[in-house]
Amino acid sequence: MSGQTIWDKLARMDRRVFYWILFICLTVPYMTPLGLPITVTPSTRSYYDGLKTIQPGEVVLLSINSGVSAWGDCLPAMVASVYQVHEQGGKLIVWSIGYNDCDITWARIKTLLATNVFTDWVEGEDYVYFGYCPGQETNVALLRDNIRGVYTKDVRGVATDDIPLMEDINDASKIKFVMSSDTGDAQIYYIRQWKNGPVNYVGSGQPPLVAEMGIAMNKSGDMVYYLSGDEFGLVAGSRGAAELEALVGLKGNATITMDSISVSHVLLVLAIILANVGMFATRGQKK
Amino acid sequence: MSQVYKRELVFIVTGVVALVMMLDYFFGKNIPGLSGSGGIAGQLQTWALIIQLMAIGLGAINLIQVHYRQISRKTDMAIYSIIFMVFFAFLLLLGLYKLFTGVELYPYTWVFANVYTSLGTTLYAITGFFVFSAAYRAFRARNVDAAILLIGGCFVLLANAPIGEVLWSGFPLIGNWFNNVGQIPGMRAFTVVGALGLLAYGFRALIGKEKGFYSEAS
Amino acid sequence: MIANVAAYPSDPLVILGIWVALFLMLAIYSYPLYKENPVYRFAEHIFVATALAIGIIVNLTSLRNSAWTPLVGGNYLLIIPIILGFCMYFLLIPKQRWVSRYPIAILVGSSLGLGIASNPLPSIITQVISTITAPKAGTAVWAWFPGSPTGDWFSFVFVAVGLICSMTYFLLTYEHTGPVKPVTIAGRYFIMLALGAYFGNTVLFRFSMLAERGQYILRVLGLVPY
Repeated sequence: MSGQTIWDKLARMDRRVFYWILFICLTVPYMTPLGLPITVTPSTRSYYDGLKTIQPGEVVLLSINSGVSAWGDCLPAMVASVYQVHEQGGKLIVWSIGYNDCDITWARIKTLLATNVFTDWVEGEDYVYFGYCPGQETNVALLRDNIRGVYTKDVRGVATDDIPLMEDINDASKIKFVMSSDTGDAQIYYIRQWKNGPVNYVGSGQPPLVAEMGIAMNKSGDMVYYLSGDEFGLVAGSRGAAELEALVGLKGNATITMDSISVSHVLLVLAIILANVGMFATRGQKK
Repeated sequence: MSQVYKRELVFIVTGVVALVMMLDYFFGKNIPGLSGSGGIAGQLQTWALIIQLMAIGLGAINLIQVHYRQISRKTDMAIYSIIFMVFFAFLLLLGLYKLFTGVELYPYTWVFANVYTSLGTTLYAITGFFVFSAAYRAFRARNVDAAILLIGGCFVLLANAPIGEVLWSGFPLIGNWFNNVGQIPGMRAFTVVGALGLLAYGFRALIGKEKGFYSEAS
Repeated sequence: MIANVAAYPSDPLVILGIWVALFLMLAIYSYPLYKENPVYRFAEHIFVATALAIGIIVNLTSLRNSAWTPLVGGNYLLIIPIILGFCMYFLLIPKQRWVSRYPIAILVGSSLGLGIASNPLPSIITQVISTITAPKAGTAVWAWFPGSPTGDWFSFVFVAVGLICSMTYFLLTYEHTGPVKPVTIAGRYFIMLALGAYFGNTVLFRFSMLAERGQYILRVLGLVPY
C-alpha cells in the first residue's frame, strides 16, 4: 500500500469521517452565528405580496402537510405566515391532510407566536384548528364542497356549526387562499381540486388561490406551477423561510439556520471539487 | 360466466366510479344530484375515504405476522420483535382508551411528543449524511452529462447558501437562473410526460388493459 | 422581533421527555456515525411500533368522525363503504381474494376519475401556455437582464427549445436516429441540468433536517435558546 497517493487515500477514506465533519459543521454555527445577508428571491417576494393583499376579516387556510420530521425546512415559513396573517387582520383555518403529528406542529407554532399573535387571537373567532384527516386528494375534493362533511368538529370538540369563524364557511370558495406547507404533492391537490375546479363549486365565491411553502426539494417540481401561475408564491425550504422572515420582520429559526446551511454547503462544494481534482489527477497518473 | 363478478364487474365498477368523478369535475353544477355534499360524487368520495381509512389494519396485520414469525422461530431478532409487540400493544391500548373515552392519557401524549416525533425527525434527517458521501463519491465530471449535472448542482448549492453571495455576487445570480429558468425545460418535461402517462394508464385501466391494481396475477 | 425563543421546560416529566428524545436520536445516529448496533435496532423497532399504533388510532378516530357518527345519526348508506372496507381484508385469504377487488375498484376509480379530470389543465395545458407566452416587455424576469426593454427573450427561447428537446427524449416509441438524435442528446443535457438543480435543492432540504437535529442537541443541553 506504500504506492498510495493522497488522492487514493482521500477516495478510500472512511465515510464516517465525512459524517462527523458534516454534523459538527452543521451544529457549531448555531453557537457562533455569522449573520450573513440574505437576498430575497422573486418567488418568495410573490408569496409575501400575496400575504399583503389580505384584508381584515378575510379567511385564509393553512394546510399543514408536512410532519414534525420536516420542521427544519417547513416550520419557520409557517410561523412567519401565521404572523403576517395576524398582522393583516386576517382569519385563519388550519388543518392537515398529510401528517397525523400536525397537532404538535400547530402547538409549536402557537408556542413560538404566543406573545406576538395568540395573546390577541381568540380560538373559534380568529382562528380554528381542525387537526388531521387522511384521504389525500379525495379528501381535498370532499373539503371543496363540504367542509362540515369531513370536519364535524374542531380539535377542542366544538361542533363546526357552533364555531363563529365557520358560520358562513362550508366550501372552498369562501377561502381567499391556501398556504400549503408540503413535503409531498398536497399543493397540487389544492390546485387541481380547488383552484382549477371552479365548475364544481356549489358555493358562490371565487376559487381560492394556492401558495406553496414546502421543503426545498419540492422547489424544482413546484417552480413549473409557480411560473405557470397556478401558485401565486413559492417559499422553498429554510432558505425561502429566511427570506420570508426578513420580509415580515420576524427573525426566526430559518434565519439562524442559514449560517449552518452556509458552512455545510461550502463544505460539500469543497468536497466535490476535491473529489474531481482527485479524479483528474489520478487519471493523469494512469495515462 | 361464473367469473364475471370476479373480473368484468370489477371493471364496470371502476369505470362507473371514474366516470362519475369526471362528470362531477366538468359538469357538476349542471347535473342535479351529482355535486355537493349530498351528491353522488361526494358520496363516492366519502366511500373511498372510509375504505382507505379501514385499510390500515392490513398493514398492521402484516407487520404483526412478520414479528410473530421472528418470535416463534426464536431468531436473533426475536428480542426486538418482542420489544415491538409490547410497545405496540401498550400504545394501542392507550390510544383506544382515548378513542372510546375522549380522555387522552399523559403517557400517550408523552410518547407521541418525545418518542414518535424524535425518531421520525431523526430517521428523516439521516439521509443528509448519505447525500454528503454520495456527492463526494459519485458527483464527478466523467462525461458531458455528468459535468452539466455537476455545474447546475454546485451553482444552485451556492445560491441557496447565503455565503455564496459573500464569496461572489455571481453565484446567486447564476444559481437562481438555474433554479428559475435552467431547470424548467427538464422539470416541465417531467410534469407533462407524467401527466400524459397518468392519462394513458387511466384509460388503459378503464378499458381493462391494466390488470395490476386488481391483482389478477394472483 | 424574534419568534424562535421558547422557555426551557421546568416540568420534570417534560424534561425527562426531551432527554429521552435526545437519547433515541443519538441511538439512531449511532448507525451512520459508528456502526449498526443493538441500541440502533432497539430505537428502530420502537419507531415502527409507535408509528403503527398512532397510525391506527388516528385512522380509527377519523373513521369514527366520517363513518360511525353519521351512520348512527341516520345516514344508513354509509354501511356500504364500511362493508366494503371489511372486504379489503379478504386480501389475506388467497381463495377469496377477489372480494377485495370491489373496494379496490372504488378506490382506483375514484383516484383515476379525479386524476384524469383534473390533471391535464395544470400539468399539460397550463404548462404549454406558460412556455409559449412571450415575456412581458420592461420586466426583468429573473434579474438576468435587469431593465431589459424587451423582456427576457433569452430565457423564453431557452425554455421553449429545452422543453421540445426534453420531450423528444421521452419519445420512446420512435427510434432516436437521424435528425432526431441530436435533439434527444440536447434533451438529455437539459434534463441533466434540471436534475443538477434538483440535487442542489435536495441538499438544502436534507441539510436543514440534519441541522435542526444538531440544534436540538444544543437546545436540550441549554447551549442555545430552547
